Amino acid sequence: MNMIRAFNTQSLRRYRIYLFTLPAIIVLGAFFIYPILLTAKLSFTDFTGVGIANDVGWKNYERIFTRSRYVDALKVTLLFTLIVVIIQTACGLFFAALLHRLHGIRNLCRAALFLPAMMSFVIVGYVWQFIYSPFNGGLNALLASIGFESLQHNWIGDPDTALFALAFAHIWMFVGYTTAIFLAGYAGIPQELDEAARIEGTSAWQRFRHIEVPLLAPSFTINIVLSTIGTLKTFELPFIMTRGGPDGATRTLSLHIIDSLFGKYKFGFASALSIVMLILVILVAYVQNRVLRAREEAI
Amino acid sequence: MSAHVNTSSRVGTWLLSLGVLVLVAVMLLPVAFMVIMSFKTGAEIASDPLGLPGSIFFGNYQNALSKMSYGRSVLNSISVTLSVTVLVSFIGALAAYPLARLTNPVSRALILIVALGLSTPNFVTITPIYVIFREIGLLDTYIGLILAFTALNLPLAVFFYTSFIRSIPTELDEAARLDNCSDFQIFWYVIRPLLGPATATLSLFVMLMVWNDFTYPLLLLTDENKFTVMISVYRFIGNHTVSPQDLFPAAVLGSLPLLVLFLFFQRRIVAGVTAGAVK
Repeated sequence: MNMIRAFNTQSLRRYRIYLFTLPAIIVLGAFFIYPILLTAKLSFTDFTGVGIANDVGWKNYERIFTRSRYVDALKVTLLFTLIVVIIQTACGLFFAALLHRLHGIRNLCRAALFLPAMMSFVIVGYVWQFIYSPFNGGLNALLASIGFESLQHNWIGDPDTALFALAFAHIWMFVGYTTAIFLAGYAGIPQELDEAARIEGTSAWQRFRHIEVPLLAPSFTINIVLSTIGTLKTFELPFIMTRGGPDGATRTLSLHIIDSLFGKYKFGFASALSIVMLILVILVAYVQNRVLRAREEAI
Repeated sequence: MSAHVNTSSRVGTWLLSLGVLVLVAVMLLPVAFMVIMSFKTGAEIASDPLGLPGSIFFGNYQNALSKMSYGRSVLNSISVTLSVTVLVSFIGALAAYPLARLTNPVSRALILIVALGLSTPNFVTITPIYVIFREIGLLDTYIGLILAFTALNLPLAVFFYTSFIRSIPTELDEAARLDNCSDFQIFWYVIRPLLGPATATLSLFVMLMVWNDFTYPLLLLTDENKFTVMISVYRFIGNHTVSPQDLFPAAVLGSLPLLVLFLFFQRRIVAGVTAGAVK
């Protein structure tokens, strides 16, 4: 009896400590969990921000998947993410592989590459918009000054290049981040392994391909998952640089959400778009995590 | 033979370093471009878009400073950042303590919610947050903005502190418990004083995010006196006809505080952000 009571008060004491999580639960409950539930609820209504929200069933979702402009926005978002994730990971790996070997300049270059990530999307967007602009913009002026006038282009005014131009600005901003994460991964590779391979007479490329890349698997996972989550919600660069144009070539899902919300006051529809985005992010992150972790374990 | 290999590989390393340095310098060209352009007169920008200015011209800055209420918005950003940092680190560390010390289904469920919060884009919650804030009168208030940012950064803080507290030996808690300290006393007098490094890194994150974020203040604020720096920059540059003489000084002024901070703390910032990502 005494033992039971002792156990109970002890376990009560153990659980009482969860009271410490109460402030966090309140904040997250009020501004994260409740909003998500409310989004889900609003997504089945025609709420316009004022007045009564009428239940419209699946109409908002039907609209998203039958109107080509929203399907196109999904495609634009996914294509943008694909371009950014692949090129940014490749460039980050390239810089990290070189800097890992170059002790003298490693810290300097890592910091320099990281610098653009300190800037806001707003500023990066405006500066690159000017760099790309057709009239005395930086890029076209540079091309003219080195004799490549023929390559001059209206970079963000042409639907064929606009998305790539935006992706380039995004990659420019975050490649230092990717590099830093890969360099942290490199620091975890035991040096003896590299030396042993060197004694066996392997080339630098062979060591990179067969030792470093497999051992960097966790860094690949982090980089790919992080940049995917960060890019799927891209809003600021298209909002500032192109407003989704030209011809919808850079109109991402999040741009549609802001547009429906504050351009058209379609709160119900914006909520449905938000839910589609949430499912997309969770799905992609989940699949990536599964695949990449399986790859890590296979090594 | 081996001496020969050494010199040739040293020359190779030297050349490679030079190549990488050039490449990195090219990556920084847009930043240099931004700074150089901000000191050029309108005529210089039009006639020689890439050249250096004839003399350093401060007129663009005078114009920008007089029109974009820079000081006011910097103060706003700093006070919002400080409030969010204090709230996030206190609430986050407090919640992290039991999660780090007890491994049971309750902790695991709570950590799962936090992880979900970590990966959910804020776009999913902006519509309802706008609606909720309007209902309870938090639109266009500092408190509303601070709460929204706190909720956004809290999952990261909980994650961060949980893994940090796990590395603190439990013997410290137990010794304090033998001295009849309550759980809160243990947290406040034993654990909290050790959290300095984690809090330092976390505040860098929060600062970066609050200073640079554009979405929340754009949606939640309408009063010019409450604008954060990025909204001031956005409003000043405008979006119909962008004038380079407005754009570049505003861009430099908007980035300057964080770039200066980065200059002093770059090692800590890069290491912190990387560690935060790896965890």
